[in-house]
Order: sequence, then structure tokens, then C-alpha cells
Amino acid sequence: MITGKTLPRRTFLRGVGTAAIGLPFLDAMAPALRASTAPGKPPIRMAFFYVPNGEIMDAWNPSYEGKFQELPRTLKALEPYKDDMIQISNLTHNTGRALLDGAGDHGRCSGSYLTGIQVKKSLVEIKNGISFDQIVANRIGKETRFPSIELGMDDARQAGDCDSGYSCAYTNNLAWRGETQPLPPILDPRALFERLFGNGQPMTPEERARQSKYRRSILDFVTDDTHKLESNLGPTDRRKLDEYLSSIREVERQIERAEKDNKQIDPHMDKPYGVPSDFAEHFRMMSNMIAIAFQADQTRIVTFLVTHEGTSRAYREIGIPDGHHPLTHHRNQPDLMEKTRKINEYHVQQFAGFIEKMKTTKEGDRSLLDNSMIVYGAGLSDPNAHLHEDLPTIIVGKGGNYFKTGRRVLARRETPMCNLFLTMMDRMGCPVEHFGDSTGRLNGLDADSLDLA
Amino acid sequence: MQFGRGKPSAGAFYDSDFSTIDSVLAQAVLHGLQGRNDCRVAIVTMSRPNLAVAGFADMIERYYRGPAAVFAQVPPMGMRTVGQPGETSAAFTAPFEAHKLDGTPVYVNNVKRVRDTADPDTMFRNYLEAQYDGNGFFILAGPATNLAAALDFRGMKELIVAKTTYLVAACNIKADVKAAQKVFAEWPVPVYLVSDELAGAVVFPGASIDKEFTAANPDSPFIAAYKAYKKMPYDTPAPAMAATLYAARPKEGYFKVSDAGTVAIRDDGQMSFSASTSGKHRLLMPDAEKKDKVVQTLVELASAKPVIQQRFRPPVAEDKKADAPVEKKP
Repeated sequence: MITGKTLPRRTFLRGVGTAAIGLPFLDAMAPALRASTAPGKPPIRMAFFYVPNGEIMDAWNPSYEGKFQELPRTLKALEPYKDDMIQISNLTHNTGRALLDGAGDHGRCSGSYLTGIQVKKSLVEIKNGISFDQIVANRIGKETRFPSIELGMDDARQAGDCDSGYSCAYTNNLAWRGETQPLPPILDPRALFERLFGNGQPMTPEERARQSKYRRSILDFVTDDTHKLESNLGPTDRRKLDEYLSSIREVERQIERAEKDNKQIDPHMDKPYGVPSDFAEHFRMMSNMIAIAFQADQTRIVTFLVTHEGTSRAYREIGIPDGHHPLTHHRNQPDLMEKTRKINEYHVQQFAGFIEKMKTTKEGDRSLLDNSMIVYGAGLSDPNAHLHEDLPTIIVGKGGNYFKTGRRVLARRETPMCNLFLTMMDRMGCPVEHFGDSTGRLNGLDADSLDLA
Repeated sequence: MQFGRGKPSAGAFYDSDFSTIDSVLAQAVLHGLQGRNDCRVAIVTMSRPNLAVAGFADMIERYYRGPAAVFAQVPPMGMRTVGQPGETSAAFTAPFEAHKLDGTPVYVNNVKRVRDTADPDTMFRNYLEAQYDGNGFFILAGPATNLAAALDFRGMKELIVAKTTYLVAACNIKADVKAAQKVFAEWPVPVYLVSDELAGAVVFPGASIDKEFTAANPDSPFIAAYKAYKKMPYDTPAPAMAATLYAARPKEGYFKVSDAGTVAIRDDGQMSFSASTSGKHRLLMPDAEKKDKVVQTLVELASAKPVIQQRFRPPVAEDKKADAPVEKKP
């Protein structure tokens, strides 16, 4: 419903000092949106969810191509969303291969994943290239509060040897602003929350203590603005706003719970109190905030390094006390492969929760997911052989009614992953002729079949 | 497990349309040379869109390289997707008809669709990047279609200069005159062209199929292929095999080599060669005294049993080494 007055898309609920909360797309914004962007088209968002150490491919790839039938085991949790996703096989990152640089596939594959550049094997003299998400951020970032947001979950070291002579800068960052400028991910949900809904600066310890003392929600700081806005909205928009603010409050509560739990577990633990010890809980918090950030058009670009290459994280919560990376060197031993499959499934299950939120969030007459391109993938396929071809890649979302979803497509073997990036840059309104080791666009994602010429 | 030391042998890039049994057997010669460590087969690419032929060449790669294993992957076949598919000789399907006692096929065709192959330009680029500088060469056995297209690929000329030392061509000029003109005009490293004289002088003996090939491996796919290609008995001219032999063993003196000069190709496909010290082309000519030795060598190489390559992890190049550990100061 439109109430006469047009609400600017970049309206914030502001509070005293600390809060600046962006808004979801409301009906009242529709005329403004039409004026500021392509006619009737909401913005396209793009996110990368990177999982490390490859996948057990027999449980990742279906035995068929074309329209999805039953999804393979690892992707099972995405069954309710299979009509919204497209699986692309045979994409390759040649720059992840050794190319005379010897061992270090993990360092190379994550370092080059979004840059398409063979990274310099070095511990101190890091050299990569700008990642394609940052090319997009440079072009369209001014249209949102944050040009891009970089997230992670378990390691943000920027120095040291993380793989056979490759700096940790390569394994612990996905996004690169330039050759030597990685963009370290935010790991702490509290830090992310404050970045998204604060005034752009992290709260000082005093501010945080004051807020905590009075147990005030960040929403309390914007009450006046909220009431003013509500009085100008129709009932549909009021309901949308209420749901949106409730989702922010829910994330805030999750963070508070995690902080409280962590204090009880170990008051001396050295990670921030806001980082939950539970993987699923941490993932849920971070991904919920991605959805909110997209919903409020705070940013259109997110990279999420779920865990880093070579991680030896154990997944005791699903009965796997072994480290992830050692398991992936399974030497074809069935028990090790099975444990790795379970980890792969577990990751996708968490991802499916995020997709559900994206799909149930309405934006205009579509869902937020319809206006997004959410890539879930890895920089290795078979981790035991350290293969850089047939990289596990799915895109969920229609990219603004572009992708013909609900199917698996196979590119020609050795097709550069960067070809997909070119196509995605087109969708983001930032076409470039060449990126990384691209050889052309990945044409046909909107048609019945890929262009294999 | 044995590890090599120093540089590996030179990487061979074999491009053909596989329109003659000679160009098919040249793939066997190439692997025979690899088995003797005279080269490594980097990739095989095909210049016509024919899945049956690509499937055969891909099967040959698997035959020689053995099953894919950790650190021993079989590169996909590069295949051009434009142009005419051309004739599909029975040679390319016959080996797939052989079955084991349990009814399973002896050889499996893994190339069913275009997506099972790779773009030749991408293959050239990706596998050239994996070679040491100056440690590769191209062999052309057929029309120059793929190589001409590669010259227009972003950064390819620089890669060819950096990574390869020469191209040896048994070129079917008339099959793609424009491509041949482009390759002889622009190929950025020296080119050795099998002359018509040499093409006619080296003849592969068909009798070796029932002798040497059968003795080495009665199930060799080349036995069925050769017999299906044409009514036996027959011998075949061997320019592609000669080109392959020279490429991997240029210093063995199997052939006479002309002085430097320039190959010019007219629009009607006629070729001329004019000597000039600044030219970057040379002709390979037959040496009557070596003729028998050449034929004997080709038979030995083509019929050799597959030698599964050992894992080779080369030392890291000096300029690519990770930083040396910083010495701790007391």
C-alpha cells in the first residue's frame, strides 16, 4: 500500500549516538525505487558461502543432468529449495593448481577463489589480485551503506604459514581490495551486529557496558523514529516493519545468549564473548544478519568464509571428533570418507536455514532470494587428490528472474570459474570484458542449456 | 614412491584432426617416447568437432596413462566445436567393440557429449602455464585450425614464447589454408615443417601390427583400429609419426634439416620455401641412410607397452620458492 508520501530507499531509523537501522523494502518506497533504479527492478544481491577442504563428490554431484530429481545426499537439506537453485559442474580454477609452485593447494585455492590469480607463494610478501566482488563493490558500493561485508567463522590470522609456505592471508580471506590488501572477515556476531545497526563504529566498552547494564535493545534507541515512521505507513508496511525489527531483536537476543553462555563456560576464553562455541548457532547468527543486511539494502555484496582451508575443526556435535582437514585426506578409506560426507552435509544443512530465511522474506511481489545470487562452493573438488576442476558450485536464487533454476548444468571441462564471475558481474550491473583467467562468459544459465561452443 | 629430480622432460602438445591412421599412430609414438623419458605428453587436442574421434583419442590417453589416481589425472581432450565433423573411420569405433570374457568392454568411451571435452585454447593456456620455461613443444598433425585460433587467444603468444621452443608440423595445408597461412606467418617460435619428400619417404609397415603390436599387447587398441581403417594388408605414409619423432628427439639426426628460411602459403594452398638467415622456418627432409632406422624406431615406439608415469613432483623453481625462514636473532 502506498500512502501518498514516498519514502526514500535509504531511510534509517536513527537513535541517540549508537543506532542507525536500515529498512527493508516497503511499499511506501516503491515510487522512489522506480525513480532511482531500473524501472520496477529491486537490486540484485550477491553472496559467496565458501566451505573448505572440498567435498566428497559422489555425494555432491547427481548422477544426472538437467531438471533436478532427487538431490544427492550432501545437498539433501536444500530439497525444499531445489526449484530455486542451479548446480554448475565442471568449473575449474587453473590458478589454484600448482603451476610449478609445488605443494600448497589449500593456500592457493582459497587465495585465488574470487581473484582468479595465481597467488605468490610467500609468507611475508603476499601478492594476489583484486577479487571480483570488490570490482563490483567499487562500482555499486556507493548505493548502499556498506559497499561489501566480509564474514568468517573461525580464523582471521593474517600472518604465519597456513599451508606449505603460503601465508595465512591467503587461507583466511576471500575478498581482496587489491594485490596486497585482503579484507579480513568479521568473525564476531556482536561486531557484525554493531556494524550493521550501529552508527558505523564499534561501540566502546563503556557504551556496551551502559547498554548491557540497562538491558536495552538497540531498538530501544530508535523508538521515536520507529513510531514516527509507523504513523506514515499503511498496515502492510507496518506489519513488514514489525517483522523486520523483530528479526533484528531475535539476532540481538541470540548474541546476548551466546555472550552469557560463553561467560559461564570460561570467563577467560580468548575469543570475543559474542562468538558462540556452537558451529550451527554461530552460522545461524551470521547468516541471519546477512539476510537482514540484504533485506535493508545495507549492502549487496557479502563473502562468507564459513571455515578456512586446511581447518582441523572437529564436529563433535554430529559425532565427529576428528579434524576436518585430516579426514579429507581419506585415501579412499570408507570410514573417513563417510565422516567427511557427514561434515559436508552438516554445512549444507546450516546453509539451508539461511536460504529458508531468504525465501520467506518478501521483497515486492517476489522473495529476497529471487533477487539474489547466493553461491555455495569450494575451492577444491576431491580433497584427497586436491583437484581444482569440477569445483562444487551451486547458485541459489534467481538473480533477478535471470537464472533458469531447478536443474544441474554441466559446462565443458576446464571451463574457468572466472567465466561464471563475468556472468555474475553482468547481473550486478558491472560488466567487464575479462577477469582473472576467464575465457568468456558462462552463457546459457538463463536458457535451456549452456552454450558450450 | 620414486620422485624425479630436476626438470621433467619436455611437455608435448599434440594437435591433430586424426584424419589419417598415421596421425592416430603418432599418438602411440608420442607415448612410446614418453615411456623412454624423451618427453611428457601434456595434452592432446583435436581440430574438428567429432565426438567419436575425440572419444577414441581420449581412450588412448587413458590406455597409456593408466587409471586416474591421486596426482595422476588424465587431462580432458581438447576439441574444437566449430567446423565440419568430417569422416568417422571405423578405426575409431572398432576398439570399443572388444569385450572381456565377462562381457565387459575392454575399452570404454568416456566422451559422449561436448561437455566431456574441453576448449582447446583453454587447454593450451592451462597446460602451458604448468610447464617450465622453454620446456615444451607443439606437434601439429593435420590442419592448423586450432593453432591459428590459439594465436588470437589472450596472452597465448607470450606463453608460447615463454614455454615452448619449437613447433614441428606435418601440416595438412589444404584442409585449412587460412589457418596455415596464419600459423606460418605468426607462430612466435621456430617451426619445422615435414617436407613432401619426407612425408613420402617414411612408410609405416602394416605388417608390424600382427608382429610387434600383438607381441606387446594382443588387446592393443591400435590393432583393431589399424585393421579397421583400411583393408589389410597395407602400409601407410608416416609424416605425423616422423614429426613426432623429430619433436622429441631433435638431436638424433633421423632427418636432414634445411637451412633457415620462410614458408609462404598461397591462397590455393601451394607452399613455397625460400632460404633466408632471418627466417624462422626449416624443412625436415629424408635422409636415405637413416630411413630403415627411422621406420624401425617408429615401430618400436608405437608398439611399446604403456609405461605408467611415476609421480613427479618437481622442485620449486628458485624464483617461486617460499620465503626462507627468517633467522632468529639471539
